[in-house]
Amino acid sequence: MLSVENLSYTYPGGTEAVRGIDFTIEKGEIFGFLGPSGAGKSTTQKVLIRLLRGFQGHVTVLGKPLNEWDDSYYEQVGVAFELPNHYQKLTATENLALFRSLYSGETHDPANLLEMVGLEEDADTRLSQFSKGMQMRLNFVRALLHKPDLLFLDEPTTGLDPVNGQKIKEIIRAQREAGRTIFLTAHDMTVADQICDRVAFIIDGKITLIDSPRNLRLQHGERRVKVEFHRDGLSSPAQQAEFPLDGLGDNSEFLEVLRNNPIETIHTQEATLEDIFIETTGRTLT
Amino acid sequence: MDIQRIWILMGKEVRLGATNFMTIYVLVMPVIITLLVALVFGDLFAQTPRLGIYDAGGGERFTQKLLDHPSINTTLYSSDAALRNAVERGTEEAGMSLPAGFIEALESGTEEVNFTVYRWGEAGVRNLLLLESTLGRTLVEGGGEGFDQLPVSVVSNQIGNANTLTWSQRLLPLFLIMAIVLGGMWIPAASLIEEREKRTLVALTTTPTSLMDVYLSKTLMGLILSGIMAVIILLLNRAFAGELALLLLVIALGGLMSSVFGVILGSVSKDMDTFMGIVKAVGILLYAPGILKIFPQVPEWIGRIFPTYYLMNPLLEVSQNGAGFAEILLDVAVLAVIIAALLVILSSVIGRQQQQLAMES
Repeated sequence: MLSVENLSYTYPGGTEAVRGIDFTIEKGEIFGFLGPSGAGKSTTQKVLIRLLRGFQGHVTVLGKPLNEWDDSYYEQVGVAFELPNHYQKLTATENLALFRSLYSGETHDPANLLEMVGLEEDADTRLSQFSKGMQMRLNFVRALLHKPDLLFLDEPTTGLDPVNGQKIKEIIRAQREAGRTIFLTAHDMTVADQICDRVAFIIDGKITLIDSPRNLRLQHGERRVKVEFHRDGLSSPAQQAEFPLDGLGDNSEFLEVLRNNPIETIHTQEATLEDIFIETTGRTLT
Repeated sequence: MDIQRIWILMGKEVRLGATNFMTIYVLVMPVIITLLVALVFGDLFAQTPRLGIYDAGGGERFTQKLLDHPSINTTLYSSDAALRNAVERGTEEAGMSLPAGFIEALESGTEEVNFTVYRWGEAGVRNLLLLESTLGRTLVEGGGEGFDQLPVSVVSNQIGNANTLTWSQRLLPLFLIMAIVLGGMWIPAASLIEEREKRTLVALTTTPTSLMDVYLSKTLMGLILSGIMAVIILLLNRAFAGELALLLLVIALGGLMSSVFGVILGSVSKDMDTFMGIVKAVGILLYAPGILKIFPQVPEWIGRIFPTYYLMNPLLEVSQNGAGFAEILLDVAVLAVIIAALLVILSSVIGRQQQQLAMES
């Protein structure tokens, strides 16, 4: 679906934002592109959505070199930007209808899309009266209007409350089930962990690691279990103990803790994506 | 380039422009000013020719005919000086000073009758013709003779400069420039800046719509609006005359120059404040030929320094002086060269705009 080989991009001022990155995305995959601000993820996305021209390297999208595509590229590609960009004097329906009319292929009914993200009751409300969260939801569904094969989503859950954030994640998963491919840039590792099939870490214009979140957690986590318990009843202060995961069922000390003490929490010690990012890059995501 | 998408985008421009205060202000302002000038300087709601009469004695039967005339407003004055003063002020467009025994002399048909007519220098040709024909008919009726035997000798005193133009005529060039330049320039520029500021431009260019389609829709919108505005201003000033095809050609070229200039300004202006600053700075240069036309004593060549002269002058030549293509060819050629230069600049600006959009998104 998408193949990037030795992609580099240098801005006119001389800033080298992307330095020879390689990755591929398969059809029906959710690929997370993770990194802190200024790492090069936005520049990569701008190259892939043809906003930035004049890159070095070889990029193939939907079976065709990127620089051979014309504006028909956007008939098959949907883009949702990090910040909402709608016509504030038009209603939600009018905004979607306007953009819908610009596509020549089959499109969704705007009413269905608005219902999908819980905006059906605000369909005839001017965008200037929308909250940022509402505008973000509209931003998201606008990218789905023309049923694209490939979706570029930039921080799709930013500014959303947990309920709507969850709704968006479910729609993204549903798009994958419908056979669509999703390129998602994020600095929120939790979102990436929950919905991405694979993630790439980018820092200083270079990809440092690519794998599935599960593999990364397993590779970089400790095979241990951590138990919090009260040794002499619930009134006593909680104590912690860690045990190796291997042979846990035969570990007498672990079994003794379980049998004789009230347990507060018990967790395996796999790493979070954020831990792995910090460990592999030496940088935080802020 | 996709005609259907350009059409859709133009529809959007109309929809958004109709709710934009500044857009409405810019379009309505030249019309309001034109109407105000016409109202203040008497061209509007004062279409009836105004005649003043001083009768030194015995001319009642003659003056009564004029006082009863339904197509002219006639006022009697008590002295020749009062009549002259009224014409000088423009209260009357023409004044007729009748000597004592005027009507008897006219009716006798045996002696030459002398009387004086004062004519206001700023009076419109239309009203003067109406007054002259009315006076002629009344004199003939009074004398009972045909036109070829009119027993009247008229001493006509021109009051004021014979070349003096009415205020409406003096201001017409400025109004035309305001209508074409503001109508053509403002909409594309303001709309483009707003689209960049609100990042809707980048949203549009990540659909099958090209940046060229967006620019073309805005340019066409400016062109159409400036054309409509120019025609309205010409009609309001009763100057929509001359060879129609030529008039429309010059309006179209002027509108194209303005809208391309507007798109360039909209692209290079960082934001609306910068655009307003530029408009304030260069506005006087754009309007200069129109301002200079208010003062007929200013040499014509000074206006030629400014690009908008080449849309204003051919328009005035065609609509006011009935000029043909040969007479305006040089001005139109200069206008075409200016447009070509602006298009070259625009193509360079569009190339850079793509990069800028990516940076701003």
